Amino acid sequence: MNAASADSGVRIEGVSKHYDAEGGVVRALEGVSFDVDNGEFVCIVGPSGCGKTTLFRIIAGLDDATDGAVYLGGDRVEGPTPDMGVVFQEYHLFPWRTVRGNVAFGLEKSGVPEAERRTRVEELVELVGLEGFEDSYPKALSGGMKQRVAIARALAADPALLLMDEPFGAVDAQTREMLQTELLEIREETGKTVLFVTHDVEEAVKLADRIVVMDKEPGRICETVPVDLPRPRSRSDAEFGGYYERVLDLIRSA
Amino acid sequence: MATDIRNELERARTDEELPLAGVDGSRALLGSLGVVAFLGLWHVASLFQPAYVLPSPLAVGGTFYAEAASGEMITALGQSIQHWLPGAVVGTTLGVAVGIALAWSPLLDDLSAPVVRLLRPVPPLALIGFAIAWFGINNAGAAFIIAIGAFWINFYAAYGGVEGVSEDLLDVARSLGVEGDLELVKSVVIPAASPEIMTGIRTGLGRCWMLVVASEIFGVPGIGRQILRAGQNLQVDVVIAYILVLSLMFLLVDTAFRAVQRRMLRWR
Ligand SMILES: Nc1ncnc2c1ncn2[C@@H]1O[C@H](COP(=O)(O)OP(=O)(O)OP(=O)(O)O)[C@@H](O)[C@H]1O
Ligand SMILES: [Mg+2]
Repeated sequence: MNAASADSGVRIEGVSKHYDAEGGVVRALEGVSFDVDNGEFVCIVGPSGCGKTTLFRIIAGLDDATDGAVYLGGDRVEGPTPDMGVVFQEYHLFPWRTVRGNVAFGLEKSGVPEAERRTRVEELVELVGLEGFEDSYPKALSGGMKQRVAIARALAADPALLLMDEPFGAVDAQTREMLQTELLEIREETGKTVLFVTHDVEEAVKLADRIVVMDKEPGRICETVPVDLPRPRSRSDAEFGGYYERVLDLIRSA
Repeated sequence: MATDIRNELERARTDEELPLAGVDGSRALLGSLGVVAFLGLWHVASLFQPAYVLPSPLAVGGTFYAEAASGEMITALGQSIQHWLPGAVVGTTLGVAVGIALAWSPLLDDLSAPVVRLLRPVPPLALIGFAIAWFGINNAGAAFIIAIGAFWINFYAAYGGVEGVSEDLLDVARSLGVEGDLELVKSVVIPAASPEIMTGIRTGLGRCWMLVVASEIFGVPGIGRQILRAGQNLQVDVVIAYILVLSLMFLLVDTAFRAVQRRMLRWR
């Protein structure tokens, strides 16, 4: 671990999570450690049930670890914080708020003045390509649009980290590809550090600077794979297939 | 009583979901037909009964007009509104507030559960003794009885609504910097539970009109008192005329509130 990652980016240090269940203790996570450097895009992949969501919730401060700690920019994460923009698979928009209202939510809570809020919301709506839908309620939006709103909402407070749990898992393949491209553009534009959970290996190879591959029972890291490919990446690239096979093998043998 | 309230809330909810109930042309036509048939049957039945058992619809119409013209009806309505309004406002407010608090806080819920179970089967009418002892035979006593009725309906509606609030939305709010119970309740719990709360308020407002009669049973003047007194004098036409006033008030308030509800819940 280098000095830089200690005071920027994310450090996950020896995180374990045990659940008491019938038939013994479930070791959902066992001694998970890795760093995400500032500005880095890291994907976490692994088989279903390997503890990805558990880890996501602990990093987000929504659940406590049984053991270990998470640091963001050198500070220990003790609970949910607006320094992380959190995006869930099922969007979880506030249905009683419009697109504008959803994006503005965090800004209202942190007391950003009205005028500043307006400009910021406008910027974000434009960033995720939802101009014209500012006054729509979530019920009128498609899955892809809802996830764009959720991303804009998560970015509103200008968090140090964008943390996402299978964010594109609930939309159709075409929309998913579009959202992936847009996410890379957003990341290009904002320079955010991104920690992205997925079970889709292709998605991970397409997006990540580095892929953290997880193992099941107990949930732990089996390998970290840096993806050294120029962007935009295409699955038809020869090297893309190489990474894809390698990560898939790691998961299969996990 | 509790299942009663649940059924009532359930009915109110499904009722709401009927798109444009009553506006549809054939529905309106069938409805008018039904009214005419009802009045016809009533009229025919009244031919075979003395007026003190069942007056004809026309006779009731005449009585309604006479009571309205004499000003007695307006006076009685004014008096009843002085029971209905404070009773409904206080009962609704407390019911919603307590329902939210108990559903949100496991501690309060555990503390209050036995007391709630003990109190909820008590019909508002059984509390007349308290109404008299605490407030006396006056507007406040009558309002108290109405408030009790409104309280429970709103309590259960709000409680159920808050129980159903998605934990995920709370997580989102926390991750966006919302801290503390009060802030979470204000910014997520209440809006998320507002459909159920609104249904409760609407059901409660209706129930309060029904309770107007009960609340005046111990001698406070108003529409209910008029109904009870006319009944004792075997003036069934007067009884029906004043029941009609309650029905009309119910209809008026319900329609108005439904419009408010639609507006506030247009996001659904
Ligand atoms: N609240 C809980 N109580 C008991 N066991 C739990 C709980 N939450 C998760 N688990 C267990 O922990 C393990 C990891 O679950 P988790 O949801 O983190 O996996 P995941 O990698 O996100 O899976 P998926 O790919 O299906 O989303 C599983 O075995 C799961 O059954
Ligand atoms: Mg998961």
